[in-house]
Amino acid sequence: MELSSAEFILAKQKIPNRTGPVRWILSHAGRYWYLFVMMTAGAFGNAALAAAVPVLSGMAFNLIQNKATQAFSLGWIAVLLIGSQILRGVVQFGRNFGAELIAQRIERDIREELYVSLIGKSMTFHNLQPVGDTMARATNDVREVNFMFSPGVNLVIGSANFLIMPLIFAPGYHPSLILVPALFIIFYFISLVQYLWELNPITTQVRSAFGVMSTRLSEALDGIETVKGLAQEISEINRFRENSNRFRAVLVKEGDVEARFVPMLLLAFAEAGGLLHALLLYQQNAIDIGAVVSYFGLIQMFAFPTFASLWAYSQVSLGLSGARRVLELINRENNLDQNSRGYAGAIKGEIEFRNVTFAYPNSSPTLVDVSFMVKPGQTVAIVGQTGAGKTTLVKLVNRTYDVQSGQVLVDGVDVRDWNLEKLRTGISMIEQDIFLFSRSVAENIAFGKPNADKAEIELAAQAAQATEFIDTFKDGYETVIGDRGVTLSGGQRQRVALARAFLTNPAILILDDSTSAIDSGTEDKIQRAIYSAARGRTTFLITHRISQIRWADVIVVLRKGRVAAVGNHTDLLASSEAYRRIFSE
Amino acid sequence: MGFFGNLDSESYDRKYTDKQLVQRMLAYFKAYLSRLVFLVFLILLIGATGAAGPVLLGWGVDLVRDDPSTATVFRLFGVILTANIISWAANWLRRRITVRLVADVALRLRQEAFSAVMHHDLAFFDEQSSGKIQTRITSDTEEFGKVVVLVTDTFGQMVQALILVVILFTIDWKLTGVLLIFLPVVFYAATGFRNAARYVTRNGMRAMANVNASIKETVSGIAVAKNFRQEAEIYKVFETANTTSYTVNIRRGFVLSMVFPTLNALTGVATALLVYGGGLSAAAGAISSGAWYLFIQSMGRFFDPMINLSAFWTQIQGGLSAAERVFALIDATSTVTQNGDRRPAGLKGEIEFTNIKFQYSDRQQVLRDFNLHIRPGETVALVGHTGAGKSSIAKLLARFYEYQEGQIKIDGNDIRDLNLSAYRSQLGIVSQQPFLFAGTIAENICYACPGDSAKAMMEQIARQIGEGEWLDALPDGLDTMVGERGGWLSMGQRQLVSLMRVLVQQPAVFILDEATASVDPFTEFQIQQALKLILERTTSILIAHRLSTVKAADRIIVLENGSIIQEGSHDQLLAQGGHYATLYDTYFRHQSIDYRPEGV
Repeated sequence: MELSSAEFILAKQKIPNRTGPVRWILSHAGRYWYLFVMMTAGAFGNAALAAAVPVLSGMAFNLIQNKATQAFSLGWIAVLLIGSQILRGVVQFGRNFGAELIAQRIERDIREELYVSLIGKSMTFHNLQPVGDTMARATNDVREVNFMFSPGVNLVIGSANFLIMPLIFAPGYHPSLILVPALFIIFYFISLVQYLWELNPITTQVRSAFGVMSTRLSEALDGIETVKGLAQEISEINRFRENSNRFRAVLVKEGDVEARFVPMLLLAFAEAGGLLHALLLYQQNAIDIGAVVSYFGLIQMFAFPTFASLWAYSQVSLGLSGARRVLELINRENNLDQNSRGYAGAIKGEIEFRNVTFAYPNSSPTLVDVSFMVKPGQTVAIVGQTGAGKTTLVKLVNRTYDVQSGQVLVDGVDVRDWNLEKLRTGISMIEQDIFLFSRSVAENIAFGKPNADKAEIELAAQAAQATEFIDTFKDGYETVIGDRGVTLSGGQRQRVALARAFLTNPAILILDDSTSAIDSGTEDKIQRAIYSAARGRTTFLITHRISQIRWADVIVVLRKGRVAAVGNHTDLLASSEAYRRIFSE
Repeated sequence: MGFFGNLDSESYDRKYTDKQLVQRMLAYFKAYLSRLVFLVFLILLIGATGAAGPVLLGWGVDLVRDDPSTATVFRLFGVILTANIISWAANWLRRRITVRLVADVALRLRQEAFSAVMHHDLAFFDEQSSGKIQTRITSDTEEFGKVVVLVTDTFGQMVQALILVVILFTIDWKLTGVLLIFLPVVFYAATGFRNAARYVTRNGMRAMANVNASIKETVSGIAVAKNFRQEAEIYKVFETANTTSYTVNIRRGFVLSMVFPTLNALTGVATALLVYGGGLSAAAGAISSGAWYLFIQSMGRFFDPMINLSAFWTQIQGGLSAAERVFALIDATSTVTQNGDRRPAGLKGEIEFTNIKFQYSDRQQVLRDFNLHIRPGETVALVGHTGAGKSSIAKLLARFYEYQEGQIKIDGNDIRDLNLSAYRSQLGIVSQQPFLFAGTIAENICYACPGDSAKAMMEQIARQIGEGEWLDALPDGLDTMVGERGGWLSMGQRQLVSLMRVLVQQPAVFILDEATASVDPFTEFQIQQALKLILERTTSILIAHRLSTVKAADRIIVLENGSIIQEGSHDQLLAQGGHYATLYDTYFRHQSIDYRPEGV
């Protein structure tokens, strides 16, 4: 049900369990259960064959001491050793590559799941969600989930098998020899938990101290003109000294915790204790010398889990927090629905705001009781200070957001009663930051009408006054934006976007022009393009150009989310003191 | 482990010889000589206890067989436990010392590099991207410090291996030979894997970068895609990149998965040979069982050093290049140099440019023979096309760049004779991209405030502008957080804050490189108010982009190719026609309220 409201759905998509990060990861991993079998079997085989070395060495010892009682000759032992260790290489590779396959597949799958969910989400979501944050989750966090399996889970399972082997083999020599391995494993886990518990908060401190240091550093470098202009070099140096000292302090603190890695000390005790135990048994003739050698070799197998635990477990925990962040993004609500059975007439372009109030989640209202009326074909200028609600206001028209109370009506029909697809096709929105894809100019212009022919594209470019700069490119319309340093200025981007609008010919055009540069040498062309784009359709202009405001059919002055004044230039000069102060020269 | 580290070491154009670099690096470690000496001692100790493990075991095997008394067993236990504990404790201390050594060397280098950078002139920042400078200060310094870890770790393992080799050799040189034959095999296997790993990893990262670029493009362009309902199409692009990345990274995984199994198998084969050869010798009575055991136990202690050694040289090279990059940062020379240290008090602001010649490093001449006299309190606007030399004039006056010939005087003082920071504190400079630091608005206005009295003044001035309406638009007034680089404020608000900074600073000379971003008419009105307050009190040089600013100037200087070609007031110049009239048509005419584009 939640899915039916997404704006993009993949036909044969399998939906994994999304009720929690662990369950989610498991349901992804479950599809590759056979790889898990391969990894686990590989890990078990690897550990068992690693145990073969001490076992066989012990046999060799007994053979030398007491020639008669051994099943194999020395030569056979050597052959078995070589064979077992080559076989061990093969199964260990199986373990590693199995883990690698799981990791890469899960990375691919969850990235795809995230991607599909992202393009399926409403514009409300995308407008509220910072690009940097989404990117961090789609790249780093997804990567962490990969690392969680390889090397994370791989090492955890590998270590577990190395911990088990001494438990399995040691009692074979003498039942009581299980004592040291058992004690080691118990204390190993206790001290590991304690170590991670102690290390985690410090790692966080290190990360945040580094963040503070490098953020201020990059500000001081980027703001160097300001620093120098105000003669603040010394105060910046002092500030950096403070920040870097703080970073140094936590770094050392972290190093100290890592230095005192207790499992390593446990290993030292286990080796000595195990040896003592075995020798005492040997002294009482309970076991032979070969058993001592084998047993001691088994105890030495604990070295691998001890070293691996330095990072295997934190890798898994990092992966889980990565998974949590990715899943959180996927699970965030899609709060608009397509309304495919809604009103689907041709848009004429009459727009009415009726007592509209709107607030972003968890904040005070951005728009309060906004009412005004626009006739088809009129040009509306929205004016007001930053934060007055201009951009929010126009985004209610194409249902980027929905009102909290009141109504936005297009052709007398509440936008929420329109078929969303039909409504959006009839409205073209050109935002402040005009985004162009890294494709050819022609493809960018024809983005909304992929089957447009060359002549149509050129006609649209002409109407948008864009031919002047497109023709200067060596490859003309086939020039790929972003390639070989081809970048377009703000004014040029705007004209490409306008050409897009000419091609799709919407009834309503919304143009957020508030970030244009004031000193553009091609201002004349840009404004001419805007004027001709506005002709014959209802146009909302968010503009700072006072001449455009002056000539608009309707001017809506917003102040802190409320309509301060509505009317044309002449009306407002007469009715609004604030307007008069600024617009009468 | 360091095995897959350092995949991206790049060649760096050398400025220093290896000898110079090493000497200079040593100088940094010299300050911690006592720590270094202790560290070397610990490493030797660790090496010795490491080698002692197998030796003691071998000795113990013989001892217990010959004299299996409880006392012997406990003595053996005591000795081995002690050796193990000493080894652990020495390692503990070594890591504590190493972390301090690395942190302190990196810290010192970092602070030196940062303060050097702060004192470089702006020409330096034009040539180096701030991202690169930042990497040098944060990570290259760290890498430099880590050279010591690398050297000591390898050294320690070498010591241990060497001790063992000597002992083994005295026991049975043939068996030792068998063991040594394997070392180059392991070394070359490790080197081979490293090269293969570097190759596949680079490919993997490239493929990953493609996927990330595709996601970035989607997320940034989602509005367009949705507006035109092209979701399915962009999905296809992503899917291809994602699948390709998977295939390439699987190949990487395949290579990396082989590394340790291969090395382990090699160790296994070597062990088998030792068991066999040693067993024969022991059976023949040539060596004792204990010595045989010693050989088997020593096995593993030779292979780790070989694996590390195969990476050693690349990593050292990495450390040296890092050091070189940091030293280059510290050593860069500043071209702006002062000849005197006079502290000007209460400047009036009379400015005189005489026969100034200026070019940015190795680019074409910007100013050829520039002369300009500005009266105290005068407001001068500079106009002209991009590259006419407007901002160069302002930047020379601010001492951001060094001019090659001529003289600039303020109140009769050559600006080269003044104390730089005392002089700059008499200048109020607002750059084209007003820069704010993360923090509150008040902190930014008072970035260079001398004391608390300025704070009270700030409140008062803030209220004065636009009746304080701009403050009411902010959630917490003067205490509103501005975000990194001031990103949470609009361009107009950032301009207001930087003008406010100047009002509090009360400089004698005001230099404004006007922002080109358009600002809503209401904020614009407040900016003009603030500007008016500043202009009344200072000698002002304005690089003007706004019609209202040009109109507010006492005198407009029209520049072309670094020369003054017209001057006068707005009305005079318009009446004259010529270059100013062209500039007006291109840049300013459309800013007037009655403008309509041609043909509309």
